[in-house]
Amino acid sequence: MTPALELADLRKSFGKTEIIRGVDLSIGKGERHAVIGPNGAGKSTLFNLITGRFPQSGGSITLHGTDLAGKAPFEINRMGLSRSFQITNIFPKMTVFENVRCSLLWSLGYRYNFWSMVGRSRALTEGAEEILEQINLTARRDLPAGVLSYAEQRALEIGITIAGGADVIMLDEPTAGMSHSETDYIVDLIRTVTTGKTLVMVEHDMGVVFGLADQISVLVYGEIIATGTPEAVRANPKVQEAYLGAALEDH
Amino acid sequence: MTDQSTTNASKSAQGVRAGSMMLALTPWCIAAVALLVLPFIFTANSAITIMNQMAITIIFALAYNMLLGQGGMLSFGHAVYAGVGGFACMHIINNDAFFSQLPLPLLPIFGGLFGMGLAMIVGSFSTRKAGTVFAMISLGVGELIAACSVIIVAFFGGEEGISGDRTYGLPFLGVEFLQQIEVYYLIAVWLMLSAALMYLYSRTPLGRMANAVRDNPERAEFLGYSARWVRFYSFVASGFFAGIAGALFAINYEILTEENLNTTQSGIILLVTFLGGVGFFFGPILGAIVFTLVQTVLSLQTELWGFYLGIVFVVTVMFFPGGLAGLIMMHVPAMRLGKLSVLALPYLRTLGAGFVGCLGAAALIEMVFHVRHASVGDHEMTVYWTTFDSHTVLPWVLAIAATVVGFWIARATAPSLAAAWSEANTADGGQP
Repeated sequence: MTPALELADLRKSFGKTEIIRGVDLSIGKGERHAVIGPNGAGKSTLFNLITGRFPQSGGSITLHGTDLAGKAPFEINRMGLSRSFQITNIFPKMTVFENVRCSLLWSLGYRYNFWSMVGRSRALTEGAEEILEQINLTARRDLPAGVLSYAEQRALEIGITIAGGADVIMLDEPTAGMSHSETDYIVDLIRTVTTGKTLVMVEHDMGVVFGLADQISVLVYGEIIATGTPEAVRANPKVQEAYLGAALEDH
Repeated sequence: MTDQSTTNASKSAQGVRAGSMMLALTPWCIAAVALLVLPFIFTANSAITIMNQMAITIIFALAYNMLLGQGGMLSFGHAVYAGVGGFACMHIINNDAFFSQLPLPLLPIFGGLFGMGLAMIVGSFSTRKAGTVFAMISLGVGELIAACSVIIVAFFGGEEGISGDRTYGLPFLGVEFLQQIEVYYLIAVWLMLSAALMYLYSRTPLGRMANAVRDNPERAEFLGYSARWVRFYSFVASGFFAGIAGALFAINYEILTEENLNTTQSGIILLVTFLGGVGFFFGPILGAIVFTLVQTVLSLQTELWGFYLGIVFVVTVMFFPGGLAGLIMMHVPAMRLGKLSVLALPYLRTLGAGFVGCLGAAALIEMVFHVRHASVGDHEMTVYWTTFDSHTVLPWVLAIAATVVGFWIARATAPSLAAAWSEANTADGGQP
């Protein structure tokens, strides 16, 4: 079976500084894969390379067997990969409902349509309402997204990310800046909405990582030093030395 | 911006949908009736000229707002799309063989297509980026095409422009459009049609994504939409309706000159749109109505109308970025609470005093202008239908008193207005 996402010798330099230094990674269909690593390890850069935000300097990224080199974010999205952002990235002036509805438009085949009314499409309205139900924002439906609480905005961001029906979901620190109870809530939410999908996430919170992921990769200074099940990674002496030592003692 | 036409209560959905449909159609019906009867109320030829001008400006401003309000693109050269559409129509009018087979009411379609064609060419490179890059390119292209008017004389007619006679077209239902009133109804029909189409456009997937790209182009890209193509389509659609406005201008005035293309004209449409308010669909309509009235009526009263307009524009940008439409919509929460009446008296006090202050200040400005610029020995001037000698003391005392007292009362009562405002926006029971 072709892996959902495969990185081979992926490299990225900004000027002379090499941020990603040859990453090989294979993520199978339906896998929940977490990328962890200390600050500045290049986790977000890795995400931005995969989603086409930056061009890579070397190596290849393949999504379902198709090379992504030179593809723009919108083209990658149309191939079934969707992402959230570390800093909340929604449409703050539009209502919560419209945020979700916009994220459904392309996947429901509306493309650059300028002859049908969005308000009259049952599929759009019901689809958006279903997503709102899943992320528990039905009551906030008609509010401008910008006035939601931080945790609600994060939930909305996840809703927008999954709405298009992409089968590879990438979440960049979905619980950053959240309280404990909010974190638990978002983790449950992620687990429900990504059922049956491939999940790739960057996360700092070890509780979240060990609770959600089937596979963990540890990225240190632009290289993956270990990949495996949470238990294997936890037991890996290289990982403990490089990064996890302190963090693991807490768990 | 919000879409009220959907509801999740499935049982009453149909009823609510029908109800909101009625509600949504009401303003359109009122507008249609108003357009129909206005010429019977304002029968003077000059009034009809003003209304024609107004309707053309409304279409142009709405088209401009497809860019500025809906798509978040600030264009400094949008007059060229209207202008080129208008010039193209002038050439069609002057092409006897073709024009004699074409009913005049269909001419705006050609104007639209030419505006759209130009927008497609320019948009293909200008919409790659929004923001400053887009604004600069629009300014450059605007200057470039305006400069072409003296270079490509065959198309733009040099300094005299291009003129023609609209009545040579194929008579339409026996109408030859000799009279202003016939042209008025032609323009009115196109106004309703264009406004409705532009409104509906904002409800289509592309129209919604124009908003999304305006707010957050990066996010839109990660939803499968190319921000650049969304901008391009908005730009092209806007060019089309601008071209229609240009064609109607050609029909109404039967002449187009460089003035229809230049950056002054582009600046005016930006001003009109912003004054009316970019955040609401009806904003540019208000802006166009107010601006045309100021331009035509106030300019008869004073040479300084542009100066006052400038002040109003600066005040709008600084204090009411939502424009006139924003000012009106600000009152919706209070209206929903049924507490609009709380504001009546404080408004009367503060705004009334402020108005007197403005009148006083305007009188002062007019008097200074008259003293400085009237020919020697001409001491007689007229302000507010009162004729007096500008070199006597009394008018100055009165004007200064009105200014000072008016603004002073406005300032002194401002806190009570603010209190009334928060009172009007608070539901009884304390919850805001």
